[in-house]
Amino acid sequence: MQRTRALASALLLAAGGAAAEAPPGGEVGYVFTDLFWSVYQTGDASECPQGFNDGPREQFAALYPEPARLDVATTQLAQEIATWHPTTEPEGFPFYTVEGPYAYGLDLDGKTSPDDFEHPDGTPGIDNAVYRAVGCIIGFRGPDGVEHIFQSKAIKDEAYNRMMINLTGVDSLADDDSVTVTVYRGRDELLTDATGENIMPGGTQRVDRRWGEPLIRETSGRIEGGILTTEPIGELVIPWQNLQVPSIHRIRDARFELRLDSTGAEGLLAGYADVDTWYYQLIRNDSTHHLANGQISAISLYKALRRLADAHPDPGSGENTAISTALDVRMTQVYIVDEASQAASP
Amino acid sequence: MTSLSEWGSRGRRAALSLVAAFAFGASLPGVAGEENARSWREVPMPPGFQVIVSELEGPVFADADGRTLYEWPQHVLRNGYSGEAPGTPGCYDEPTTVTAGLMSPYPAGIPLPELDTRPACTDLWPPVLAEEDAEPVGEWTILERRDGALQWAYEEQPLYTSARDRRPGDVLGGTRRRYQRDDPAYRVPVGPPPALPPGFAVKATSVGRMLTTASNDAVYAYAEDDAEASACRGACLQRWAPVTAPALAAAQGDWTLLERSPGVRQWVFRGQPLYTHRLDRHSWSQQGSDVPGWSNVFLQPAPAWPAGFTVQATLAGNVLADREGRTIYVYYCADDSADQLACDHPVDTQVYRLAMCGGGDPQRCLAHWPYVLAGEGQESPNRTWTIVTIDPRTGRFAADDAPGALRVWAYRDRPVYTFGGDERPGDVAGGGTGEWRGMRNGLRAFWLRDDYMQGIL
Repeated sequence: MQRTRALASALLLAAGGAAAEAPPGGEVGYVFTDLFWSVYQTGDASECPQGFNDGPREQFAALYPEPARLDVATTQLAQEIATWHPTTEPEGFPFYTVEGPYAYGLDLDGKTSPDDFEHPDGTPGIDNAVYRAVGCIIGFRGPDGVEHIFQSKAIKDEAYNRMMINLTGVDSLADDDSVTVTVYRGRDELLTDATGENIMPGGTQRVDRRWGEPLIRETSGRIEGGILTTEPIGELVIPWQNLQVPSIHRIRDARFELRLDSTGAEGLLAGYADVDTWYYQLIRNDSTHHLANGQISAISLYKALRRLADAHPDPGSGENTAISTALDVRMTQVYIVDEASQAASP
Repeated sequence: MTSLSEWGSRGRRAALSLVAAFAFGASLPGVAGEENARSWREVPMPPGFQVIVSELEGPVFADADGRTLYEWPQHVLRNGYSGEAPGTPGCYDEPTTVTAGLMSPYPAGIPLPELDTRPACTDLWPPVLAEEDAEPVGEWTILERRDGALQWAYEEQPLYTSARDRRPGDVLGGTRRRYQRDDPAYRVPVGPPPALPPGFAVKATSVGRMLTTASNDAVYAYAEDDAEASACRGACLQRWAPVTAPALAAAQGDWTLLERSPGVRQWVFRGQPLYTHRLDRHSWSQQGSDVPGWSNVFLQPAPAWPAGFTVQATLAGNVLADREGRTIYVYYCADDSADQLACDHPVDTQVYRLAMCGGGDPQRCLAHWPYVLAGEGQESPNRTWTIVTIDPRTGRFAADDAPGALRVWAYRDRPVYTFGGDERPGDVAGGGTGEWRGMRNGLRAFWLRDDYMQGIL
């Protein structure tokens, strides 16, 4: 919560007293402009005392010091098989998880357990096992990690990713004990300034009812001190595309905690990510080449995700199918227009 | 004109009669008709070559035997280049034996699979050889190969035929569909330029040869229009922009002109005044076709898919699906050799496909990526969608009566699949499976409409 407040301070200052006023018609919309797995990083990476993990390039070199004596099937394809048909079997490489006490995120289960983190503001019980898995992988760390770079760009450039929330029944952006929050996908480009880089408030987004109807969700929330907290959404599907492969994430029990003002919103989206969906999104959108640039061994990461999964056990096997997570989210105000459904093309 | 293959030798003997049979501008039965006969620009050709209209790729050059001609343009991949620079043949008869290192992060120099049966580049891509007394004609020139043999080139790209093509009009070796940096260096069929006025272009897509502006904006027609009158006026023009013609433009072939108002003339194609859609968000869009009465314009529609196949909406557009609504996938593969040999066909090595679909286990492949079975009594509707017999234990073609063989649907002679992980119609969870997001050794969904992927069709 403290971080949410700190990150949003500039927005709040800019908005001045506007937050206390009701938005026109009691309605305000926001479009996602940043969305990425929340990673708590210190300057000296003290949360990763054993260093960062090796990636596909390093693992290949270790496994096959003389590949010219072997062949494609027993080297290159063997690694691809291990990537696309992953297992939880132990491997010969160490995997470094986050060992620090702190993480951003929310207390999803209302409990404080040994595997939980503490929020930097002192809040206990933070559930964010995805961070524990990816926090010591260079590709997931900002601002230069390959995943961080790709997603930061794709969320703005790819209309497929154009998620937004619409708040209705809003009496005040500072305090309101009951608002309705609807999640939509938009259809339009983002409004930018003349540089084309900076997203500006005041744009218009049409609701995507042509392809995006399955993404629409509704929940309730309350605003206290300018911070929106929503009730969990059973399963939020987040469209997640880069490099022209349309993928998704499935976040169960998803909830928002956002600092609001009249120009934007910023905070967290947290819940339990379906592990298989999470993993296959990663490797479908990024080839081993891309993963190698971020020293992301999908083979090793899968084992960690499975090991650290902490929710929604499979009724048959009892193994957890979902993993707690939090995403940093930043949004810009837009006017959301819900046009009548258009006829399907022949 | 000669060719290295046995078929070429036979063809050479029969060249004269076949030239007569495939007269210039010939069309295949059930493919063309008068519309296609006017759809390309005649170019000078050396004796013995011809233009054939294929049902998928449109007009292509072919040799006297009707074999489609291909080029192998140089292509920039992540770690280097492959393909041929203009004027420089690069496909020879020594089989490559090691990887080229184009599949980053894997290094070069790793022995390729099945070396004992690995074909040479020219086994799959016989060069189109020229006689010693052959003369260049127009864009057709003659190159000297490093063994001294002469090879025909078009626009300086060396020409080849494909071992995959079996009948005149087959274009099974390659496609003109758009490929990008992470795709292999594909072979591409070569043909005469389409007969278009300046300012227009044609894009090969999964749904047909789409007419666009030269800047790749989709072009639309309105059902209420005819060649003499446009019904789109007033408020309609806020959404639709007539494609206007310059003052000196003249009607020719399929193309005529409509004077919307004094001095403002609109292009008309096959009787349909043309527009662009102001709300289209990207190139080659189909978004305008959502508006009742409006449709994209094609020079040639794609051949019909099998009866019973369906179209399903996804989060990103439409995909082709089987009778139950399961998304159809196509396997793509080219190996990491300097030759960039394809590995996506049942007669190619199956090592790559089996690795992706089942970790090397054919049974797991059948569970994860089942073939799309053809129904009893179903027949191939055309030469693009065919029914083939596959041995599921090997992935290779089998005799029709072979024990355990499956009768399955194939697109361009390659079996198609569904994905075991797709749970409901519209799921595309298998898309992008495999190396390089399914582009170099993997599976991609059969998209019919792309609203978000910027021209993936």
